[in-house]
Amino acid sequence: MSSGQSQAPLPYTDERHQAAAQFLTEEAHLLDTSDFEAWLGLMDRRIRYRMPVRVTAVKAADEVDVQTMHHFDEDWYSLRKRVQRFQTDYAWTEDPQSRIRHHVSNVRTFEGSDDELIVESAVLLYRSRGDRTAPSLLSAGRTDVLIPTEEGLRLRQRDIEIDESVLRTQNLAIFL
Amino acid sequence: MADAEPNGIADITGAVRQGLIPAFLYNDAQVHELERTRLFGRSWNFLAHESEIAQPDDYVVRNIGDDSFLVTRDSDGQIHVMFNMCVHRGMQVCRAERGSARTFRCPYHAWTYKNDGQLAGLPFHADAYGGEAGFIKEGQALLRAPSVAIRNGMIFASLDPDAPDFETWLGDYAFYLDFYTGQSEAGMEFRGPQRWRVEANWKIGAENFMGDSYHTPHTHASVVDIELFGEPKPYKRKEGVLWHAGPGGGTTYKLPPGSDFGSGLAYVGYPDEMIDRMAATLSPAQRALVDEPGFMPSASTLFPNLSFVHNWPQTDAEGRITPFISVRLWQPVGPGETEVYSWFCVAADAPEDYKAASYKAYLMCFGSSGMFEQDDVENWVSITTMARGSMARNLLLNNRMGLTLDGEPIVDQFEGFGGPGTAYQGFGEHNQRHWFSMWADLVSQPAPARQPMAFGMGEQPA
Repeated sequence: MSSGQSQAPLPYTDERHQAAAQFLTEEAHLLDTSDFEAWLGLMDRRIRYRMPVRVTAVKAADEVDVQTMHHFDEDWYSLRKRVQRFQTDYAWTEDPQSRIRHHVSNVRTFEGSDDELIVESAVLLYRSRGDRTAPSLLSAGRTDVLIPTEEGLRLRQRDIEIDESVLRTQNLAIFL
Repeated sequence: MADAEPNGIADITGAVRQGLIPAFLYNDAQVHELERTRLFGRSWNFLAHESEIAQPDDYVVRNIGDDSFLVTRDSDGQIHVMFNMCVHRGMQVCRAERGSARTFRCPYHAWTYKNDGQLAGLPFHADAYGGEAGFIKEGQALLRAPSVAIRNGMIFASLDPDAPDFETWLGDYAFYLDFYTGQSEAGMEFRGPQRWRVEANWKIGAENFMGDSYHTPHTHASVVDIELFGEPKPYKRKEGVLWHAGPGGGTTYKLPPGSDFGSGLAYVGYPDEMIDRMAATLSPAQRALVDEPGFMPSASTLFPNLSFVHNWPQTDAEGRITPFISVRLWQPVGPGETEVYSWFCVAADAPEDYKAASYKAYLMCFGSSGMFEQDDVENWVSITTMARGSMARNLLLNNRMGLTLDGEPIVDQFEGFGGPGTAYQGFGEHNQRHWFSMWADLVSQPAPARQPMAFGMGEQPA
């Protein structure tokens, strides 16, 4: 997954790169302001949203993540359930809400097939809960497939490479 | 330290045996030390499942408390559990958490061990030690876990060389363990684990899975609200039976009236192929648990810190119900911190379509992102935070649900429950008290005596 694209990224001046970078910034804004319904609206109905478990392996081993176990392996149905849960009055883990900020950087955009864009980015999620526990940080790389639609770009696939084997956060009641 | 009688331990164990939990037990350095040396120094601890090291030369590295163990399948297929510390200068021999290797070479001085633990390479043995005259290499091996047992492919170890025989200790809990890890003659497949650290005391998760059906309707109201899992409604949850047997206990849901073994399993989403497999592996008595009057195992804990969960959420928009099993370990890291290991578990020969749906069910409900587990951990972190202060020393938490003030059960034991042990229908903290009585037994006994071994000096003690 971390092998990256073999082709060169689009120049920063390319409108497709600018559109992709703006998409990621706007998406982060929706997540940071808990507008999950609008966030879900950015997903293509065929969305695959995955975050495999990473392991500590010897350098010579091929295995750096466990493809048979994920922290997230979501489709439209399960992402929608997660969003619906936040909208109930009983999602205690986010009531009171965390203060969160998605810091998105290192955006590289590549031409995919059929007008798709392949977009790599880094994301650092800062999450602060209550006033007694230390804030948590999650760092990840993401490889997205964005597709153009009449309503704008939509997320078709996201593969998240989390930079920890043992997560230091109480749960993943968040999206990356 | 381990042998000195700590201040107040008799008061603590006395209170918990009465169903009163000194609140500070959930975040206290002295209690943590007692648990580390006395409880985890004696208990049977789960390490890994055989399917995680399915091929010869596979290994995983797992912990019991602070101790790192290499769990290997050697080139002949035999399983070994070895302390992951080089016998020369103490380096951690294997620093990866899983992989495949015939040998392990210590990075410090290149001492090399075969994957059955035997010391195979010792650089400059003749020049540096004078050969066998200075260091007897023959027969040396990594330190073995003092006691090891395997059941349903699950590998357990105890740090106590005089640990009770595993099967004897497991007793009637084995009856229930098979519902989670004995669903097929082909064995189970464990996937994962997901690992994450929570600022919560390890006991809370263990107790919760052991018998807390009372929290489900409220803590997990959101998953009922979004129609992910319809069972945890208050009236349904209190129809369930809480059982404890041997060193464990668990919760059940009552199946719809008129259910039998096949229709009960079908109700929770098992396809016919899986029902046939379970009919073949479970005994008539085990099948009778699901038969009328019909109870389906849900959460469970095997003392001290291994838990299981079996739920059956809706896994697609068309309304398919699919059960899943998760196995989880609440590994203490400190008085107020736990590392959770959470595996997905499925019959190895289950249909691929079923495996995929069951995996989906697991990820939606439990584990690091699970919609049940998210709210549990929020509560447990809060308890642990509150337990740290001075006022928690003035509070004995009430763990007596289901008992009158005189100590009599408020309802009789449930007659007609198909399984062994003690069973009560309705809400109660019978199982949590049973867990704490085992906890009290271990923390009030001195830790097992250690017998240090010198390496290279001659025969190792047996």
